[in-house]
Amino acid sequence: MKNRLKVLRAERDWSQGDLAQRLEVSRQSVNAIETGKFDPSLPLAFKLARLFERPIEEIFEDSESAS
Amino acid sequence: MTDCIKNPAGDHMEDRILFIGMPLLVANIAMAIWGIGYRHLHAAGAYLPAILFALMGVAFIVIFGLYLKEEQDEFQRDLWVQALLWGIGATLTIITFWGSLVEFELAKGLKLLFVFPLFMLITCIARLVLRLRYR
Repeated sequence: MKNRLKVLRAERDWSQGDLAQRLEVSRQSVNAIETGKFDPSLPLAFKLARLFERPIEEIFEDSESAS
Repeated sequence: MTDCIKNPAGDHMEDRILFIGMPLLVANIAMAIWGIGYRHLHAAGAYLPAILFALMGVAFIVIFGLYLKEEQDEFQRDLWVQALLWGIGATLTIITFWGSLVEFELAKGLKLLFVFPLFMLITCIARLVLRLRYR
């Protein structure tokens, strides 16, 4: 699943570590989500949506609907 | 474990492994290597090392189970599940392969006491590889 985490993070000038701290997860987790190696659960996706004040579909892109 | 934030579940697991799991594992390996176990003990006395070996297995499974229950970081939890699956899969594969060789008298019998340490070793290697992969 593609996502815009890197862009959103850059807009706020946050490092992966900063985002990890805000999400209360490891930096490794943020990196894995950002690079599309790991799809977050719904609760974590909602947490990201709240943090970036955007709806989930603006952060994550369903690869099936994109094709 | 988490690089930048405190991870209570990981800390608890490390403490449990250090103070409960490792002493049992070291005792297990020492007994397996030096043959203190069943060979030199008679009947009732042999139950003690047998119980110790069994306790070690139970202790590690409980430690891993508690960690998976307590871990809030789903990605870290996922990595541990993957590492444990590698450990289980590779251990079963190796002992099955070895067992077949023993059946055809192509290899000496495998000491079963080494099975759990083998599982632990493969799981730890898998964990390290996975950590490096998702750096």
